[in-house]
Amino acid sequence: MDLEHLQIHMNRMNTFSYNPQEYELEKASNSYLMSLLAVVVGLPLPIINLIATVSFYISNRKSTYFVRWHCTQALLSQLSLFLMNSFGFWWTISIIFGSRNIQNNYIAYIFTLLLVNIFEFGGTVYSAIETRKGKHVEWFFYGPLTHLICKP
Amino acid sequence: MKKVLLQFLTLSTIFCFLFFGLNSINWMSLFQINKLSEKTEKKLGEICWDMFKDEHAEIKDSTALACIDSLLNAICIPNNIDKKKIKVHLLESEEVNAFALPGNHLVIYSNLIKESGSPEALCGVIGHELAHLEQSHVTKKLIKEIGIATLTTIAGGENTGAIKEVVKTLTSTAYDRSLEKEADVKSVDYLTAAKINPIPFADFMAKTDTRKTSTELENWFSTHPDSKERAEYIKAYTKKKGVIKNIKVLSDESWEKLNHY
Repeated sequence: MDLEHLQIHMNRMNTFSYNPQEYELEKASNSYLMSLLAVVVGLPLPIINLIATVSFYISNRKSTYFVRWHCTQALLSQLSLFLMNSFGFWWTISIIFGSRNIQNNYIAYIFTLLLVNIFEFGGTVYSAIETRKGKHVEWFFYGPLTHLICKP
Repeated sequence: MKKVLLQFLTLSTIFCFLFFGLNSINWMSLFQINKLSEKTEKKLGEICWDMFKDEHAEIKDSTALACIDSLLNAICIPNNIDKKKIKVHLLESEEVNAFALPGNHLVIYSNLIKESGSPEALCGVIGHELAHLEQSHVTKKLIKEIGIATLTTIAGGENTGAIKEVVKTLTSTAYDRSLEKEADVKSVDYLTAAKINPIPFADFMAKTDTRKTSTELENWFSTHPDSKERAEYIKAYTKKKGVIKNIKVLSDESWEKLNHY
């Protein structure tokens, strides 16, 4: 099963409560693109993604419901990825500069992170494209969670 | 809310399955991490040993070597350790020390034999150093403290300064606490499999606490911290293993002879 098919299984495409305007589609799509910023500029620090997404979220917190909803979904997904990546990042630092050794579970964790990041990257690009087309993409777990947090 | 929790649990389960699945693959051996090539390890061992040979007189007396060989046989055979690969060296020295070098070299100082007080305690020390060799602690420690690139360079040519650093690392600093404990526990396993009582080994360890004024005696123990604590967990582990067998590994006469070097 390729990544795109897997994404379709993981993400649900629903109709939104109203038909968003063209400028809303662009802003909502940008919220996903912001979370890819660090990958695009090639920075390894996991905090960069989160800062970019948080800044975009704050600047759009008074925007329309559609934009806020997608900003929140992008932020939540980045937040969990940030926690996982930070753990891996500090583990690596403690191996390089501290007294820890490379162990099997470290390598397994790094590979797990790699797979999660690839999946998240694919999902983010997919959501950015689909949102720009006017389709409402709800991610597995993050979609329902966003509905709980983001109200019209 | 229920839907969110259920989906969170599903995602967490997928993550755990992925992690534990990947963790079941032996990446360390797949990527050959913490491993020096056999040739490099052998060469490093030879270089280190050459340095010791120049600084200390080697005891080549056949009786003494036969006694050490008997002790080594007593441990190696029941534990399926290939004795042929172990190169034992007995050195004349006032220091109380024994250590393992890369390439399966096992160095024992004459004063350690005297201070150990019994063949069983000496077997415990030998077992401890054998465990360091068998569990690849020696190379792990060198890679961690000196680095794989430097070690490969040392093995490839002459670099006296760097060799001294390797020797210093192997003889004067402790392994990680966890590795020391692992070697102690493994030594008890070796001894019990060989039907040798591990208690004299624990007593030898405990003895250092009451004889701290002896600088020679401190040497082996200064590289192996918390002697009292170690003596206690060795005794506790021995007790857990059950009935202590106590075969005589060396005759009194042979032990007396060995103590005269």
